[in-house]
Amino acid sequence: MPLWVPERSQVAPAACLSPSPEAPRALSLFSSSSFLPLPNSQCLVWRTDLLVISLFRMAEQPYTVASDSETTGDDKSQSAFHDLAIGIEVGTSKCSIAVWNGAQVELLRNTRKQKSMRSYVMFKDDTSSGEASSGGASNKTAYEEKEILSGSAIFNMKRLIGRADTDPIVHASKNLPFVVQTLGIGVKPFIAALVNNVWRSTTPEEVLAIFLVELKTMAEVQLKRLIRNVVLTIPVSFNRFQQIRVERACAMAGLHVLRLMPEPTAVALLYAQQQQQQQQQSLHGGMGSGCEKVALIFNMGAGYCDVATTATAGGVSQIKAMQGCTLGGEDILKNVLYHLLPNFDSLYSNRDTNKIRSMGLLRIAAQDAIHRLSTQSSVQINVDLGDGTKMQRVLHQSEFEEVNRNVFEICEKLIKLCLADSKLAAEDINDVILVGGCSRIPKIRSLVLGLCKKEKEYEGMDALEAAVTGAALEGAVASGITDPSGSLDMLTIQATPLSLGIRVHGGGFVPIIQRNTAIPVRKSTIFTTTQDGQTEALIVVYEGDGKMVEENHLMGYFKVTAIPLAPKGTAEISVCMDIDAANTLRVFAGAMMLGTDRANSPFFEVRMPTLDDAHGWCAQALVKTHGSALDLTTIPKELQPQKVQ
Amino acid sequence: MILGVVPGNSTAALRPSPTQPRPRPSLTDASGGRVFRLAQWPGGGGGWTRLSSSAFRARAAVGEGAKARGSFYELLGIPESGSFDDIKRAYKQMALKYHPDVSPPDLAEEYTRRFIEVQEAYETLSDPRLRALYDRDLTRGLHLAFSARRRVDEELEERSGWRSRWQDQLAGLKKRSMNKKSEGNLSWGDRMRKQRTELSTE
Repeated sequence: MPLWVPERSQVAPAACLSPSPEAPRALSLFSSSSFLPLPNSQCLVWRTDLLVISLFRMAEQPYTVASDSETTGDDKSQSAFHDLAIGIEVGTSKCSIAVWNGAQVELLRNTRKQKSMRSYVMFKDDTSSGEASSGGASNKTAYEEKEILSGSAIFNMKRLIGRADTDPIVHASKNLPFVVQTLGIGVKPFIAALVNNVWRSTTPEEVLAIFLVELKTMAEVQLKRLIRNVVLTIPVSFNRFQQIRVERACAMAGLHVLRLMPEPTAVALLYAQQQQQQQQQSLHGGMGSGCEKVALIFNMGAGYCDVATTATAGGVSQIKAMQGCTLGGEDILKNVLYHLLPNFDSLYSNRDTNKIRSMGLLRIAAQDAIHRLSTQSSVQINVDLGDGTKMQRVLHQSEFEEVNRNVFEICEKLIKLCLADSKLAAEDINDVILVGGCSRIPKIRSLVLGLCKKEKEYEGMDALEAAVTGAALEGAVASGITDPSGSLDMLTIQATPLSLGIRVHGGGFVPIIQRNTAIPVRKSTIFTTTQDGQTEALIVVYEGDGKMVEENHLMGYFKVTAIPLAPKGTAEISVCMDIDAANTLRVFAGAMMLGTDRANSPFFEVRMPTLDDAHGWCAQALVKTHGSALDLTTIPKELQPQKVQ
Repeated sequence: MILGVVPGNSTAALRPSPTQPRPRPSLTDASGGRVFRLAQWPGGGGGWTRLSSSAFRARAAVGEGAKARGSFYELLGIPESGSFDDIKRAYKQMALKYHPDVSPPDLAEEYTRRFIEVQEAYETLSDPRLRALYDRDLTRGLHLAFSARRRVDEELEERSGWRSRWQDQLAGLKKRSMNKKSEGNLSWGDRMRKQRTELSTE
């Protein structure tokens, strides 16, 4: 039972008026333990209160992370499934939630019996309860797409989370019904929803957190237990900074992230299970480790496109390589919108309410046309934009494919790159798995199958449910659940999708952990000084695959001190990177004593990323302030200390 | 950690080539909580050092690895004549046992270390060239796990060269498609990509 069950009238003002020390505790108590798994109306009232509190708190101060570990640690239940992690896929457009029910994975449905829920949060001004909000998972009324596009709802948060206002993806989101403003100064973009004709600012993390709270509540009511651990799927191209923002949104919602799983690797786990079951059926319980099968997984949803190759045998799926980029149905939709209405931008730049409405109507019509084009060669578009203008025209599939040529080209490049990375030829691929909403587009199907030289795709996987099912399986496996029939005896050996390394003199990027390295892993490299008598060095950690640091993502920096006095190029600084099974990155660095193999002083151990928001110009500021005085460089090969045996 | 580290001269064994990752040490914390530290490292200041890693490696390979589990073949539990398929199968069976996702929580740390060893054995034996070199060393009685690592590193270097060629090609492709579209009448996607390149080259 919750220790503290407040009346609404007491809580909301306390939380919103004074950021007193009590308030964060109230939030954490609420978020972690006050959801009773009772499907009664009281529960709903509390939920609304929580949202009120969290909204105000989040708006006022930077992210009070609800401390979930302390408050729930003591109420261990006898149930084996108490800590079982659930799988959640928060897509750019749709979202779903699944759980291992003891025999198989089951997708949960909301009160409207939907397994796939629209990802959005509606901001409403309700005079009785202050501001409240609700999203696609809410028990309350379902909003129609028209209302979602009215400017009062925020969606596409997966495309916006963890991005600075210099990011081209943020710039590309400016034509959404809600406000996205950028000033190009490397900080969080200004994002706002229309509430009572006033723009109310918010952040993608806040929106995601509100949405997750609703999902959590829904799952708690249905499963009749508290939910704490989750496995969340993410796009391959998410960098560690974006991952941290997702984790933080989860923490705000009182959820602990057990794993962040790139979507195709979740699909790979499901594939491994299916292969395992097939083999067991055909061999009648041999070793269950028959021949290895190689699959290419192509996943394209509304926001992101991912490609991965996996080698599977005996229930183990080994990720060979991954590639991903921010490309999806949203880009296809925009290409079509601009094709239908070339002056789209100028028409809607003033954000007049009526204009927003007609923009929404056009979006719905275009989206519908794209869906229908998956099965028809041409579609009729008839839409009344409400301000006297009507659009009536036919869109042909060939036209559609022409305006989206650039999208298909990028898909093709990703697949080729992924195959090359995994050193596989099309002939080595046994199965091609197509998942995600965009995999229904005929052109994309033929493109992927053509590149893999296959007649048809792998069957037996629901394109929209595969990733969340895999996430729920991972949740069960990583929670330590075993199944007597052996259907949980499986595993995905993950790989790092992006290289990790540090900046060296001249702005070059030296990877320490190459991309597509199996994790867990620990690797290190020795660097040397660039100045005579240099006693300090800056370790600037980046993630990415560009040759120069500015092409990659800055993860953080720290200074190594106590480098022994020596001419440049002779001191040795060791930098070691460690990624554990939960994908946590740690960087260790320190100077060695001259001519010995001992550390000159205790090594620094830093968990990365260390940076928070507003890191846009950090790298430039570092260079401006310190020049090359603290730079490191690699040791020339011929001067490398030789192996002594 | 289960293994103790005995400091000694042989610990100076291994250094990485300048541009390449060091060999995987046999330790990683699986739970995300604790990391390996050397408590009694003479002159090491008690901190974790690069050397502790290689020292540890050497010890693990010579002392425990080589004697207790012997060669990579013994580690994977396959005969030296084992085929590529045998290696892959053995690797996956071992992974199912030792991967931190599936190991018992109290053994996670040790099993993670073993998993990394298994990973190393697999990476060496699944590559025909590396396997040939390793087999040669083995017949000379040098069945130390880490003796193969330098070659793995060299191999990695080769592979990264091959990778960068690929990236160059891709960059070329991108640039070409960018130039092609630089003249007026840009679609939204084209404009966005152009903007992206401009931003990234600023």
